[in-house]
Amino acid sequence: MNKELEKLLFNPVRLKILSFLFSVENASFKKLIEVSEATKGNISVQIKKLEDAGLIKVRKKFEGNYPLTLCKITSKGKTSFKVFLKSLQSYGINESADVDFKNRI
Amino acid sequence: MNKVDQIKVINDMINEARTNLKPLSFNLVFWGIFINIMSIIHYTFPSFIQQTNYSAGIYWIFLPMIGMIYMTRWNIKKYKEMGYSTTLGRVIKIVWAVFGLGWLMISGLAFYQGINPVPDILFLLGLVSVLTGAIIKFKPIILGGIFLLIFVLSLYIYPGQNALIVNIIGITLGLLIPGILLNRMKTNE
Repeated sequence: MNKELEKLLFNPVRLKILSFLFSVENASFKKLIEVSEATKGNISVQIKKLEDAGLIKVRKKFEGNYPLTLCKITSKGKTSFKVFLKSLQSYGINESADVDFKNRI
Repeated sequence: MNKVDQIKVINDMINEARTNLKPLSFNLVFWGIFINIMSIIHYTFPSFIQQTNYSAGIYWIFLPMIGMIYMTRWNIKKYKEMGYSTTLGRVIKIVWAVFGLGWLMISGLAFYQGINPVPDILFLLGLVSVLTGAIIKFKPIILGGIFLLIFVLSLYIYPGQNALIVNIIGITLGLLIPGILLNRMKTNE
Protein backbone atom coordinates (compact mmCIF):
# COMPACT_ATOMS: atom_id res chain seq x y z
CA MET A 1 0.00 0.00 0.00
CA ASN A 2 1.06 3.55 -0.69
CA LYS A 3 3.00 4.84 2.33
CA GLU A 4 1.55 8.32 1.89
CA LEU A 5 -1.99 6.99 2.02
CA GLU A 6 -1.19 4.89 5.07
CA LYS A 7 0.25 7.96 6.77
CA LEU A 8 -2.75 10.06 5.76
CA LEU A 9 -5.27 7.57 7.13
CA PHE A 10 -3.32 6.91 10.30
CA ASN A 11 -5.02 10.00 11.70
CA PRO A 12 -8.38 8.88 13.21
CA VAL A 13 -10.26 12.02 12.16
CA ARG A 14 -9.16 11.68 8.53
CA LEU A 15 -9.97 7.96 8.60
CA LYS A 16 -13.44 8.71 10.00
CA ILE A 17 -14.11 11.37 7.35
CA LEU A 18 -13.01 9.16 4.47
CA SER A 19 -14.85 6.07 5.80
CA PHE A 20 -18.06 8.07 6.18
CA LEU A 21 -17.77 9.69 2.74
CA PHE A 22 -17.03 6.27 1.23
CA SER A 23 -20.47 5.10 2.41
CA VAL A 24 -22.54 8.14 1.40
CA GLU A 25 -22.95 10.32 -1.69
CA ASN A 26 -22.05 13.54 0.08
CA ALA A 27 -22.05 14.98 3.57
CA SER A 28 -22.15 18.44 5.07
CA PHE A 29 -19.34 19.89 7.15
CA LYS A 30 -21.71 19.90 10.13
CA LYS A 31 -22.41 16.17 9.76
CA LEU A 32 -18.69 15.41 9.51
CA ILE A 33 -18.11 17.29 12.77
CA GLU A 34 -20.87 15.20 14.36
CA VAL A 35 -19.59 11.81 13.19
CA SER A 36 -15.88 12.48 13.71
CA GLU A 37 -16.40 14.13 17.13
CA ALA A 38 -13.67 16.61 16.24
CA THR A 39 -13.56 20.37 16.68
CA LYS A 40 -14.40 22.73 13.80
CA GLY A 41 -10.80 23.88 13.49
CA ASN A 42 -9.37 20.36 13.51
CA ILE A 43 -11.85 19.06 10.96
CA SER A 44 -11.16 21.99 8.62
CA VAL A 45 -7.46 21.12 8.67
CA GLN A 46 -8.07 17.41 8.07
CA ILE A 47 -10.55 18.07 5.25
CA LYS A 48 -8.00 20.35 3.60
CA LYS A 49 -5.35 17.60 3.79
CA LEU A 50 -7.71 15.03 2.26
CA GLU A 51 -8.69 17.53 -0.44
CA ASP A 52 -5.04 18.32 -1.22
CA ALA A 53 -4.38 14.59 -1.59
CA GLY A 54 -7.23 14.45 -4.13
CA LEU A 55 -9.25 11.98 -2.04
CA ILE A 56 -12.24 14.24 -1.46
CA LYS A 57 -13.87 17.19 -3.18
CA VAL A 58 -15.22 20.16 -1.26
CA ARG A 59 -18.00 22.35 -2.59
CA LYS A 60 -19.08 25.55 -0.90
CA LYS A 61 -22.41 27.20 -1.53
CA PHE A 62 -25.01 29.37 0.14
CA GLU A 63 -28.44 28.27 1.27
CA GLY A 64 -30.39 31.36 2.06
CA ASN A 65 -27.99 33.46 4.07
CA TYR A 66 -26.06 30.51 5.46
CA PRO A 67 -22.90 28.97 4.00
CA LEU A 68 -23.05 25.24 3.32
CA THR A 69 -19.96 23.09 2.79
CA LEU A 70 -20.50 19.74 1.12
CA CYS A 71 -17.82 17.06 0.93
CA LYS A 72 -17.76 14.18 -1.50
CA ILE A 73 -15.29 11.35 -2.03
CA THR A 74 -13.53 11.38 -5.43
CA SER A 75 -12.97 8.31 -7.60
CA LYS A 76 -9.30 8.44 -6.56
CA GLY A 77 -10.48 8.51 -2.95
CA LYS A 78 -12.72 5.48 -3.50
CA THR A 79 -9.94 3.49 -5.16
CA SER A 80 -7.43 4.44 -2.47
CA PHE A 81 -9.84 3.57 0.30
CA LYS A 82 -10.54 0.16 -1.25
CA VAL A 83 -6.78 -0.48 -1.41
CA PHE A 84 -6.55 0.56 2.23
CA LEU A 85 -9.37 -1.84 3.21
CA LYS A 86 -7.77 -4.68 1.32
CA SER A 87 -4.48 -4.02 3.08
CA LEU A 88 -6.28 -4.21 6.43
CA GLN A 89 -7.79 -7.54 5.42
CA SER A 90 -4.40 -8.83 4.35
CA TYR A 91 -3.28 -8.54 7.98
CA GLY A 92 -5.82 -11.26 8.75
CA ILE A 93 -7.32 -9.36 11.67
CA ASN A 94 -10.73 -9.14 10.07
CA GLU A 95 -11.32 -12.72 11.22
CA SER A 96 -11.28 -11.70 14.86
CA ALA A 97 -12.78 -8.24 14.59
CA ASP A 98 -16.46 -7.70 13.98
CA VAL A 99 -16.29 -6.25 10.50
CA ASP A 100 -18.97 -5.86 7.90
CA PHE A 101 -17.19 -3.69 5.37
CA LYS A 102 -16.08 -6.62 3.23
CA ASN A 103 -19.29 -6.44 1.22
CA ARG A 104 -18.59 -2.85 0.32
CA ILE A 105 -15.34 -3.55 -1.53
CA MET B 1 -3.84 3.73 16.17
CA ASN B 2 -3.45 0.02 15.44
CA LYS B 3 -5.14 -2.00 12.67
CA VAL B 4 -7.96 -3.28 14.91
CA ASP B 5 -8.80 0.28 15.96
CA GLN B 6 -8.83 1.33 12.31
CA ILE B 7 -11.26 -1.47 11.44
CA LYS B 8 -13.47 -0.43 14.35
CA VAL B 9 -13.49 3.19 13.18
CA ILE B 10 -14.39 2.13 9.63
CA ASN B 11 -17.23 -0.08 10.87
CA ASP B 12 -18.60 2.66 13.13
CA MET B 13 -18.61 5.11 10.22
CA ILE B 14 -20.33 2.63 7.86
CA ASN B 15 -23.02 2.11 10.51
CA GLU B 16 -23.41 5.88 10.94
CA ALA B 17 -23.93 6.25 7.20
CA ARG B 18 -26.97 3.99 6.93
CA THR B 19 -29.96 5.41 5.14
CA ASN B 20 -32.50 6.81 7.55
CA LEU B 21 -35.88 5.39 6.53
CA LYS B 22 -37.96 7.35 9.03
CA PRO B 23 -38.67 10.20 6.57
CA LEU B 24 -39.95 7.64 4.04
CA SER B 25 -42.28 6.19 6.66
CA PHE B 26 -43.60 9.67 7.47
CA ASN B 27 -44.24 10.24 3.74
CA LEU B 28 -46.21 6.99 3.48
CA VAL B 29 -48.26 7.73 6.62
CA PHE B 30 -48.90 11.32 5.53
CA TRP B 31 -50.20 10.29 2.09
CA GLY B 32 -52.15 7.39 3.59
CA ILE B 33 -54.03 9.75 5.92
CA PHE B 34 -54.31 12.59 3.39
CA ILE B 35 -55.81 10.46 0.59
CA ASN B 36 -58.08 8.61 2.99
CA ILE B 37 -59.48 11.87 4.40
CA MET B 38 -60.02 13.14 0.85
CA SER B 39 -61.76 9.90 -0.13
CA ILE B 40 -63.97 9.93 2.99
CA ILE B 41 -65.00 13.56 2.37
CA HIS B 42 -65.76 12.75 -1.27
CA TYR B 43 -67.71 9.61 -0.27
CA THR B 44 -69.67 11.43 2.45
CA PHE B 45 -70.46 14.60 0.48
CA PRO B 46 -70.60 13.47 -3.17
CA SER B 47 -73.04 16.20 -4.16
CA PHE B 48 -70.72 18.86 -2.77
CA ILE B 49 -67.56 17.50 -4.44
CA GLN B 50 -69.32 16.71 -7.73
CA GLN B 51 -71.48 19.83 -7.87
CA THR B 52 -70.05 20.75 -11.29
CA ASN B 53 -68.33 18.74 -14.01
CA TYR B 54 -64.97 20.19 -12.98
CA SER B 55 -65.21 20.34 -9.17
CA ALA B 56 -64.19 16.67 -8.55
CA GLY B 57 -61.24 17.03 -10.92
CA ILE B 58 -60.15 20.23 -9.23
CA TYR B 59 -60.58 18.57 -5.81
CA TRP B 60 -58.42 15.56 -6.79
CA ILE B 61 -55.72 17.59 -8.55
CA PHE B 62 -55.26 20.72 -6.49
CA LEU B 63 -55.46 19.31 -2.97
CA PRO B 64 -52.82 16.62 -3.71
CA MET B 65 -50.69 19.32 -5.32
CA ILE B 66 -50.80 21.27 -2.04
CA GLY B 67 -49.84 18.04 -0.25
CA MET B 68 -46.97 17.52 -2.68
CA ILE B 69 -45.64 21.04 -2.15
CA TYR B 70 -45.84 20.60 1.63
CA MET B 71 -44.12 17.18 1.55
CA THR B 72 -41.40 18.36 -0.85
CA ARG B 73 -40.57 21.23 1.51
CA TRP B 74 -40.64 18.83 4.48
CA ASN B 75 -38.33 16.36 2.71
CA ILE B 76 -35.84 19.09 1.76
CA LYS B 77 -35.83 20.31 5.38
CA LYS B 78 -35.27 16.75 6.68
CA TYR B 79 -32.43 16.19 4.21
CA LYS B 80 -30.75 19.38 5.40
CA GLU B 81 -31.15 18.30 9.02
CA MET B 82 -29.62 14.89 8.28
CA GLY B 83 -26.64 16.50 6.57
CA TYR B 84 -25.84 13.64 4.21
CA SER B 85 -27.34 11.77 1.29
CA THR B 86 -26.98 8.17 0.21
CA THR B 87 -27.46 6.43 -3.12
CA LEU B 88 -30.41 4.47 -1.67
CA GLY B 89 -32.04 7.71 -0.50
CA ARG B 90 -31.58 9.26 -3.95
CA VAL B 91 -33.10 6.22 -5.69
CA ILE B 92 -36.18 6.36 -3.40
CA LYS B 93 -36.52 10.10 -4.06
CA ILE B 94 -36.40 9.58 -7.85
CA VAL B 95 -38.93 6.72 -7.76
CA TRP B 96 -41.46 8.79 -5.79
CA ALA B 97 -40.83 11.94 -7.83
CA VAL B 98 -41.66 9.94 -10.97
CA PHE B 99 -44.81 8.67 -9.24
CA GLY B 100 -45.81 12.24 -8.33
CA LEU B 101 -45.39 13.31 -11.93
CA GLY B 102 -47.34 10.28 -13.16
CA TRP B 103 -50.11 11.00 -10.66
CA LEU B 104 -50.48 14.58 -11.89
CA MET B 105 -50.45 13.46 -15.54
CA ILE B 106 -53.05 10.73 -14.99
CA SER B 107 -55.28 13.08 -12.95
CA GLY B 108 -54.95 15.84 -15.53
CA LEU B 109 -55.74 13.53 -18.46
CA ALA B 110 -58.64 11.90 -16.61
CA PHE B 111 -59.98 15.36 -15.77
CA TYR B 112 -59.65 16.37 -19.43
CA GLN B 113 -61.31 13.20 -20.76
CA GLY B 114 -63.89 12.97 -17.99
CA ILE B 115 -62.88 9.47 -16.84
CA ASN B 116 -62.23 7.98 -13.40
CA PRO B 117 -58.48 8.19 -12.56
CA VAL B 118 -58.60 5.89 -9.49
CA PRO B 119 -57.66 2.54 -11.16
CA ASP B 120 -54.72 4.05 -13.07
CA ILE B 121 -53.39 5.92 -10.02
CA LEU B 122 -53.73 2.84 -7.79
CA PHE B 123 -51.96 0.76 -10.44
CA LEU B 124 -49.05 3.20 -10.58
CA LEU B 125 -48.97 3.40 -6.78
CA GLY B 126 -48.93 -0.41 -6.54
CA LEU B 127 -45.96 -0.63 -8.90
CA VAL B 128 -44.05 2.10 -7.06
CA SER B 129 -44.78 0.48 -3.67
CA VAL B 130 -43.50 -2.92 -4.83
CA LEU B 131 -40.42 -1.21 -6.25
CA THR B 132 -39.77 0.76 -3.04
CA GLY B 133 -40.29 -2.31 -0.85
CA ALA B 134 -37.89 -4.33 -3.01
CA ILE B 135 -35.26 -1.55 -2.96
CA ILE B 136 -35.28 -1.18 0.83
CA LYS B 137 -35.97 -4.90 1.40
CA PHE B 138 -39.09 -4.29 3.49
CA LYS B 139 -41.78 -6.90 2.92
CA PRO B 140 -44.86 -5.01 4.26
CA ILE B 141 -44.40 -2.36 1.53
CA ILE B 142 -44.05 -5.05 -1.16
CA LEU B 143 -47.20 -6.74 0.17
CA GLY B 144 -49.01 -3.39 0.31
CA GLY B 145 -48.11 -2.82 -3.34
CA ILE B 146 -49.36 -6.29 -4.28
CA PHE B 147 -52.66 -5.59 -2.43
CA LEU B 148 -53.02 -2.38 -4.44
CA LEU B 149 -52.48 -4.26 -7.71
CA ILE B 150 -55.09 -6.84 -6.67
CA PHE B 151 -57.58 -4.03 -5.92
CA VAL B 152 -56.93 -2.49 -9.33
CA LEU B 153 -57.54 -5.86 -10.94
CA SER B 154 -60.80 -6.18 -9.00
CA LEU B 155 -61.88 -2.73 -10.26
CA TYR B 156 -61.43 -3.93 -13.84
CA ILE B 157 -63.15 -7.30 -13.23
CA TYR B 158 -66.04 -5.79 -11.21
CA PRO B 159 -66.40 -2.23 -12.55
CA GLY B 160 -69.58 -1.66 -10.50
CA GLN B 161 -67.63 -1.25 -7.26
CA ASN B 162 -67.40 2.13 -5.56
CA ALA B 163 -63.94 3.40 -6.53
CA LEU B 164 -63.72 5.56 -3.39
CA ILE B 165 -64.21 2.58 -1.06
CA VAL B 166 -61.62 0.61 -3.06
CA ASN B 167 -59.35 3.65 -2.84
CA ILE B 168 -59.70 3.86 0.96
CA ILE B 169 -59.01 0.13 1.47
CA GLY B 170 -56.18 0.13 -1.08
CA ILE B 171 -54.47 3.21 0.37
CA THR B 172 -54.82 1.88 3.94
CA LEU B 173 -53.25 -1.46 3.03
CA GLY B 174 -50.77 -0.09 0.51
CA LEU B 175 -49.51 3.07 2.20
CA LEU B 176 -50.81 3.65 5.72
CA ILE B 177 -50.14 0.27 7.36
CA PRO B 178 -46.71 -0.29 5.70
CA GLY B 179 -45.77 3.30 6.64
CA ILE B 180 -46.69 2.71 10.30
CA LEU B 181 -44.78 -0.61 10.32
CA LEU B 182 -41.73 1.06 8.77
CA ASN B 183 -41.88 3.81 11.36
CA ARG B 184 -41.96 1.26 14.18
CA MET B 185 -38.92 -0.55 12.82
CA LYS B 186 -36.01 0.01 15.21
CA THR B 187 -33.15 -0.33 12.77
CA ASN B 188 -32.40 1.50 9.55
CA GLU B 189 -31.16 0.02 6.31
